[in-house]
Amino acid sequence: MSERAGSADTALRVADRIRRRRSTPWDVFGESIQRYEVHLNGKAVEMSRGPIHLEGYGIRDIEPREGSVGVGFSASTDLSNEGVDRTLAEAERARPFASFPAKSLELPSGDARPPEVDTIDRDLWDRPEATLAGLVQALLAPFDRSNGAAPSFGSIRATLSEETIANSNGLERKFARTSVELEFAVRSAKGPEGSPPGEYWVNRLLGRIDPKAIGSEVEVWCRKAGEVRHAKPPPSGDLDVVLPSDVLADILPAILGFRLGGAAALRGMMPIPGTVVGSPGLELYDDGLLPHAPASGPCDDEGWPQYRRHLLHQGEVTAPLYDALHAGALGQPPSASARRDPIAFASWFRFSNAPSPGPSTLVIPPGSGGSEREMAEAVGDGLWVDQLGYAFPDPISSAFGGEIRLGHRIVGGKIGEPVRGGTVGGQLLARPGEHSLLSSVVHIGSESRLNARLFGPDLAIEGLTVAGE
Amino acid sequence: MHNATTIPWLGAAHGVPSGDFLGAGVSRPAVQGLAGMEPLADRLLRSIEPRTPYAEILYQSSSGEVLRYDRSATAAQPIPRFEGMVLRAWSPRGWVEVSTSGSDPERWRTAAEELIVRLGYGGGAKDPPGAPATGSADRSSLAVRPMAELPTEARLALAKTWFGWATSVDGIRNAYAIIESRTDERWFHSTTGARRHQRIERARGSILALAIENGKIEYDFVGRGGIGGSELLDTMTEERIVRTATEAKALLAARAAPTGRMTVLLDPSTAGTFAHESFGHGAEADQILRDRSYLKPLLGTTVGPECLTLVDDGSLAGGWGSIFFDDEGHETQRTVLVDHGKFVNVLQDREAAAALGRKATGNTRRADFLSRPFVRMTNTLVEPGAEKREGLLSQVRDGVLLESCTSGIEDPQGGNMQIKVKKGHRIRHGEVGEILPSMALSGRVLDFLKSIRGVSGREDFELSPGYCGKGHTDILPTGTGGPFLLAEATVGPA
Repeated sequence: MSERAGSADTALRVADRIRRRRSTPWDVFGESIQRYEVHLNGKAVEMSRGPIHLEGYGIRDIEPREGSVGVGFSASTDLSNEGVDRTLAEAERARPFASFPAKSLELPSGDARPPEVDTIDRDLWDRPEATLAGLVQALLAPFDRSNGAAPSFGSIRATLSEETIANSNGLERKFARTSVELEFAVRSAKGPEGSPPGEYWVNRLLGRIDPKAIGSEVEVWCRKAGEVRHAKPPPSGDLDVVLPSDVLADILPAILGFRLGGAAALRGMMPIPGTVVGSPGLELYDDGLLPHAPASGPCDDEGWPQYRRHLLHQGEVTAPLYDALHAGALGQPPSASARRDPIAFASWFRFSNAPSPGPSTLVIPPGSGGSEREMAEAVGDGLWVDQLGYAFPDPISSAFGGEIRLGHRIVGGKIGEPVRGGTVGGQLLARPGEHSLLSSVVHIGSESRLNARLFGPDLAIEGLTVAGE
Repeated sequence: MHNATTIPWLGAAHGVPSGDFLGAGVSRPAVQGLAGMEPLADRLLRSIEPRTPYAEILYQSSSGEVLRYDRSATAAQPIPRFEGMVLRAWSPRGWVEVSTSGSDPERWRTAAEELIVRLGYGGGAKDPPGAPATGSADRSSLAVRPMAELPTEARLALAKTWFGWATSVDGIRNAYAIIESRTDERWFHSTTGARRHQRIERARGSILALAIENGKIEYDFVGRGGIGGSELLDTMTEERIVRTATEAKALLAARAAPTGRMTVLLDPSTAGTFAHESFGHGAEADQILRDRSYLKPLLGTTVGPECLTLVDDGSLAGGWGSIFFDDEGHETQRTVLVDHGKFVNVLQDREAAAALGRKATGNTRRADFLSRPFVRMTNTLVEPGAEKREGLLSQVRDGVLLESCTSGIEDPQGGNMQIKVKKGHRIRHGEVGEILPSMALSGRVLDFLKSIRGVSGREDFELSPGYCGKGHTDILPTGTGGPFLLAEATVGPA
């Protein structure tokens, strides 16, 4: 860890002030962040932003009651003594109106040593602007060779975050992480006259991006932009569909993060442990210790030491994700699953939200389906969906569905002509006997990929509904 | 991308009462308690001025409260006291920005020094393109009954009342009620002497009724919101909430929606999202300058039927996305994008306006002081037409009514859009039939425009509050609105 990592002590300073004023339980989560952004218009830098300094904290003021817990929460960017006092007073004022049915509330102590996990890109941490410039250069270099495509627009946003957690149980945690958001669109004008240019638009959220590997990825994006241009409408019907991990990353964490969590369990919306919701070969973990995953860290957002937990075994629900409050309400130990960031939309700061149960990084172990070519062979006839506009995952009903921005027909076991338009969707979870994505997984690819909150392979799904044109 | 429900139980809202809540505004100090920072801001601008032909500073502070109530838990959470500033300056390499949270003068001075380092010696930069804002103005939104006068106790009591109405419906075990108030204060100073202060208060209420049966979960939602106060919540009536809960229960037994190309009748929330996704994003002029809008070659041509007029209106009274000034200091305005079928205008920041030989339209917006400015929509609307809803229905032999729009996404380059609705109803021979579960409308915008057969009148017009991202980030409040709209489209699962 570099010298700069761990130098911020936001929550610890705030805790010092709270300690003098509170005898009831409390916790505070603080962040001190530097962010740098480069925005591109074609190959030109349209705007350079940074450093963007953000320092803030969120305080929970907790009152154990008979059969319930009052939890007031307030957050602020005001680090002055007056600001901390005001924020604490706001949390205290909110507490009588915030009631949670926890029989007990266990906050972590500082006794357990959290595990080590690699969450920092050291180049980015030590030389953020130079590293970002290098990434931009690596991203644009392939366009120096004539390949018929050009960069359309994009941005690279790097976040260097120092996080601190303290509570009334004596806990003091400090750690640091980096993350990189890449949004990049490639345009191709190759192909038929009269068609609009084809665009392939990539979104990535990672702990680090390897500039050496990005060049070969750009070549693939350029080819796909060309395919968009002459893609035809997809067929209609219930088809066997391959969803790559980038598409699944839009669907699985958003829905399973809620439906397999304590908030859903408390409200009778979680499949009870032992229920079969997935295909027999399907395993699913939540791994808070995956190196360089953007949601990894030595502890969760309440300070509980992180670990890897089983969510589905042979398609069967094992245990939910609990933060301290939901664990207390359901009579379970916390599972280090307190998250302060929304699941569906990436947020580069988290102090402004109270914790609730959620996943770190969902992990589907690779299967025996093999490479893309072998997956297509196994499917025989169907559709390979390269990219959706957005999958619009609905955490409550578990429905999802998106416009096909680019796909390919699978004909006779081979990946065929590109398709575009129409929608594909269905239910991620369903009652026994009804069709769902998880219960219809027929092949699991052998190569995993990390993006945002999912590390997993491509999945072949039997009988997904496609509405073509 | 537009979301009426960033998380579903936030709900969407439709309609605001009439009244000039944004309108002319009033003149009063917008940012209270920070007047002392303005001289510092001006000093910082003067320190930067030798290095740049133009610089500006935007200060933002937000606060408020969100109250959530359901059978399991209650939470009354103050919206984070979020404040800070961003400094932007023009350099030979384009715009350069630094930003910092808080109102600590030392942090502000450090940020200015960091900007100066990045600007270098300042030589060679000409003025940035476009006309800068000038002059002073100070505006605050108005409310009939400001949310500050509705204490948390009263908000909780109201939420419990809504919850009671929803759960009075057989089969509805739980419901999420949310009451939200937000205040956004911004001031903007520039080296060209612009001084703009604005304070905007938004209120929103919603309820999501939850139906669970044998492991199947369905819901429906209703909400109201806009600029104003607790008067906006008066439209959350028992009749509306009970109807929403009844529909949620009915969705449990709904059969799969039909798929394929068919006649579609868009409800006001869906028509508004169509305006946002079709001619909103594509008409953001930064996309046109990037050669990234399918609409670029179509400016000045007829793209739709006579009955179709699309508008972006940041000055709309009560609109969820209304503002007095944009984040370049320009006054917001009503901009007609499509006038009776003819594509006539785009939305411009100062740079795009200069490139296109037009004036800035007051659409430059930052999500907050941490986010960059983009050309963005405010309230994007389908203007009412001349038809009656019943008349549109009577034209449908076999189709679907798309209702309770949750979200949409655009493809400005390829000219496609997708709109997702939570529910719908089958229409046969002009009669509204059985309920249908969530669906997605998708297809090429220009094909959709050609298929439009009618737009209903003012009596059906409703506004909806939502949130819009530029891509998947930079999310800010935007309103949508419209009446019923009849067309042909591809419908699929969602």
